[in-house]
Amino acid sequence: MDQSRRDVVALLAATSAALSWPGKGRTTPSFRLGLTPVFLDNDANLLEQLGRALAEASGFPVEFEQRRTYEEVTGLLLQGSVDVAWLCGYPYLQHQDTLSLLAVPVWRGQPRYQSYLIVGAEDSATALSDLAGSVHAFSDPDSNSGYLMTVSDLIRAGQVPGSFFDRSIFTYGHRNVVRAVASGLVRSGSVDGYVWEVLSTVDPALTRRTKVIAKSEWVGFPPFCARKDRIQEARIRSFQKALFSLGRLPAGRQVLDLLEFDSLTSGEPQLFDGIAARMSDLDALR
Amino acid sequence: MSRFIRIPLTARVALVVAGLMVLLGIAASQQILTILGRVQTERVRELATAHVEALSVALGPLVLRNDVWEVYDTLERAASVSEKGRIAFTAVSDASGQVLAATDPRRAPVGSPFEALAMTAQTLDALSLSGSQSILQLKAPLVFQGRLVGQITSELNVGDLLAERARVSFLLVFWNAIATAGLALVGLFATRRIMAPITLLAERMGRSAEAPEPIPAEELPPSQTEFGRLAATYNAMAAAVREKAEAERRLAARERFVSLGRLSSSLAHEINNPLGGLLNATDTIRNYADNPQVVRRSAELLERGLKHLRDVVRATLEQNRIDRSGVSASLADFEDLHLLVGPEVRRRAQNLVWDIQIAPQDVAPFPASQLRQILLNLLLNASAAAGENGDVGLCVASATEGLRVVVSDSGPGLSADARQRLLSSQPVPPGGGVGLRLVHDLVQDLNGQIHLSEGEVANQIEILFPSTARDEG
Repeated sequence: MDQSRRDVVALLAATSAALSWPGKGRTTPSFRLGLTPVFLDNDANLLEQLGRALAEASGFPVEFEQRRTYEEVTGLLLQGSVDVAWLCGYPYLQHQDTLSLLAVPVWRGQPRYQSYLIVGAEDSATALSDLAGSVHAFSDPDSNSGYLMTVSDLIRAGQVPGSFFDRSIFTYGHRNVVRAVASGLVRSGSVDGYVWEVLSTVDPALTRRTKVIAKSEWVGFPPFCARKDRIQEARIRSFQKALFSLGRLPAGRQVLDLLEFDSLTSGEPQLFDGIAARMSDLDALR
Repeated sequence: MSRFIRIPLTARVALVVAGLMVLLGIAASQQILTILGRVQTERVRELATAHVEALSVALGPLVLRNDVWEVYDTLERAASVSEKGRIAFTAVSDASGQVLAATDPRRAPVGSPFEALAMTAQTLDALSLSGSQSILQLKAPLVFQGRLVGQITSELNVGDLLAERARVSFLLVFWNAIATAGLALVGLFATRRIMAPITLLAERMGRSAEAPEPIPAEELPPSQTEFGRLAATYNAMAAAVREKAEAERRLAARERFVSLGRLSSSLAHEINNPLGGLLNATDTIRNYADNPQVVRRSAELLERGLKHLRDVVRATLEQNRIDRSGVSASLADFEDLHLLVGPEVRRRAQNLVWDIQIAPQDVAPFPASQLRQILLNLLLNASAAAGENGDVGLCVASATEGLRVVVSDSGPGLSADARQRLLSSQPVPPGGGVGLRLVHDLVQDLNGQIHLSEGEVANQIEILFPSTARDEG
């Protein structure tokens, strides 16, 4: 199990690759699920298990479409190149008029998570305000925990996000943010609290070189989304049911355990109100 | 140098072999290390070139869009797969010379000046592994699609290559030392073996100071070799030297008889002359037997003549007695000499100056035989040299350190050959007699010294016999 968990956060986070899951019947067109390594490392073992579990639960083959950024995956979903995408709350809200919630993972008893502000283990900073003029790592410009939270915090503190840091970089992966901070490439980083916690158990040597100096409020966990106009499609419904029933199947349970999820649930849009508030702070600046 | 010459030849050859081996070892080792250094430099250069080229391809677009994370991630993955941790550090800058990312961001923070990192870096073309530093720093331009988009600096860990070179150096020195020592020993034994005949020859030559000793047949090297021929030549030479020495010895022994032979005619006259008178005396006695006065006078004449004959015969016998080597000289020996030389001198109508200023004890320490032979030879020589009506002289006197003898004549002086015979021990030139050489040898036996002086009036041969001659001789 530990080995499998370690596989979750394996290398190669930056490549953009398509990995297909060969289903039982080649005649049936594959169901396509869009993914991004921002949140989920494209570990072959995990994806294989996830694909097998979803195929077993839904009864049709599931094919993964991976892109490097949320923007790209969101684009795939909006244009119909994928049937469903595992997005972040921020891009979901950005396209709330077009997208519908399909399912939200339940982590540690609730469908929510936090954003962490991390620095190097030896760093003297204790708050975001201590990091002025330094180099900061975001994960993705469309990530709630890896961008929006920190930028909106700066706005709330009266800072100009574009000039507060001397330089900011995007790593397109929460694990990469942790690596960037741990290695000293950057002084601080905005990271998904769920990812950092999972890493602290599967790769403690990495997280030990960082420390959390600020945590955000609890907001809705990155959800599975589909286009509103297709939400009634049978296969999308079947896929949603499959997500809900994953915990009841041995293969599904195994994948949920790997991801440290309790289950998946149907989330309400209100889960993401916190994110929406921060979006409005950002929009106000624009 | 002189100390080196004192070392035996066999050891010298071994030392020379060892020295040459050391020189050869140094030259060969230097060559090997140079080649090794060149090969290693070439290897590092190829590696560095491949590293830079690969990074240029991978990083070009990333550097172009200033993607710090992707540059870092690529560098880190490249370093993690580099051969044996060969790439110790890499940093990449953008076109403005600011660090974009490095494998060790704490050492080269994002945005820091690149030039400070690459101050001592070598370019790919000039990359050399000649120093002793285990980290080699290089820099190269980062070119993408023909555009200079940034720069790369890398530190290559070449500690293993330097260690390999040090190990090769040590092994070369170690095995060269062993090979040199081994070959020197082999050289020593081989030389000793090769030189054994020469050593044998030197031993044989040095064993006897008088004449070289021939090498026994069982010790002779095979005759077909150079040493065999050398040994055979040596043996022939040794035999010739021995034969010559033997001949000289026999010649010297015969010289006494030779000199006596030279006297024989004059001695015959010496005996013949009084014989007429003596026979006349016997006739007179027979004819005037009744005249006692005449008989007495004739008998006296007869007695004097017979006494003279007796003296001549005694002196001749004395000169040729064989068992008189231990007899000390006496004044009578000088009288004998006078008697023996007298006929030669008279025959040539020469003036003989006979000056014997000594007491019997002055000549007692010297052996009569040698003294007589020396003086007889010199006097006969002087008489022969002085010619008709010449002057011949003998002066014997006591000196503080022994006996001083001077033989003089009015002749033309000694020839160069004669001088050599008398004064030196060098081989006697062919021709001529051995009388003077005999004098030389006898004087030497008595530890005497010979001096020559040639004046307008007379030539003198002076001999000083130390009084200890007998004890030592």
